[in-house]
Amino acid sequence: MDNQFIFKYSWETLPKKWVKKMERSEHGNSYDTNTDCPFQLLCFLQLHTYTRVQVSIDICGVDHPSRKRRFEVDYNLLSTRYNSRIRVQTSADEVTRISQVVSPFPPVGRWEREVWDMFGVSSINHPDLRRISTDYGFEGHPLRKDLPLSGYVEVRYDDPEKHVVSEPIEMTQEFRYFDSASPWEQRSDG
Amino acid sequence: MFLRRFARPSSLMMMAKVKETTGIVGLEVVPNAREVLIDLYNKTLTEIQRVPEDEGYRKAVESFTRHRLSVCEQEEDWESIEKKLGCGQVEELIEEARDELKLIDKMIEWDPWGVPDDYECEVVENDAPVPKHVPLHRPGPLPEEFYKTLEAVMGGKLDGALKKDEPVIPATSQST
Repeated sequence: MDNQFIFKYSWETLPKKWVKKMERSEHGNSYDTNTDCPFQLLCFLQLHTYTRVQVSIDICGVDHPSRKRRFEVDYNLLSTRYNSRIRVQTSADEVTRISQVVSPFPPVGRWEREVWDMFGVSSINHPDLRRISTDYGFEGHPLRKDLPLSGYVEVRYDDPEKHVVSEPIEMTQEFRYFDSASPWEQRSDG
Repeated sequence: MFLRRFARPSSLMMMAKVKETTGIVGLEVVPNAREVLIDLYNKTLTEIQRVPEDEGYRKAVESFTRHRLSVCEQEEDWESIEKKLGCGQVEELIEEARDELKLIDKMIEWDPWGVPDDYECEVVENDAPVPKHVPLHRPGPLPEEFYKTLEAVMGGKLDGALKKDEPVIPATSQST
């Protein structure tokens, strides 16, 4: 009961224009907003006296391929002063650019690079947007649902040429699909 | 150095205790905290007039700024200010006031007031209970003026059932 007060207060106080959807639950409070608002919303949450959210815990992305705006970027925040957590979500598609939140929260730089690298969701005015987790020269964005689990290229060290080469993937075994719905052997006779 | 210390009138030392340290790394002691705070709160109250009336933000800021300003003006000592407000140390209050001023500036620049006619907001109230084995997040007690501010923002709709009388401190949230 107590931890909902800060959330309720912030809901009453912040401009309604920024928030598309709010969720209040014991599992985690969250706001849903448009692509150009996260910077403003996060600055508000950081600076306002009764919602001193000074720590950004994480920024992650989620890919929902069935939706039109398929990527959802999720900012997890923590207020050490009032001991409350809050989540701000934004949705974007492949070409939309999100406003950066690096200026209120400097550590966010790496998280935004991660989101760019893994999903392809870039930020406007980001100071340093480059790949962070994938290999140099990797094409594609790995955590999207349309990139297969094994990827498209494999790398190996080529002894005659004395350097690492990347070649199209060659799998000796076909990708096995395990349907975990039923423990019995899957048969097509009925 | 010692000559200066003895030359100072001893009555000055007896009136107010000098704060040695805030205890927080990077936050220095501000000796004239009360004046700085009063100055900042007055500036905040003039700045917030630029925000349109009837906004929850303006009501909230006016409510807690006025309360804090009245406490600062009544009490002479930084220690009694801290104890009466219950909002942490005076240096933290100064930081909060400065941030609030910055925020008001930014809000006026962005101008997000007013709700467009086709505004729809999905409010999800998920009351699904959390399983018993999951440690539930229970923050500590909030300062009293927070509830007064909340009430001011909600226009007095906050009824007695929501206000808690005494702070509940369960064993899990004791942190060192």
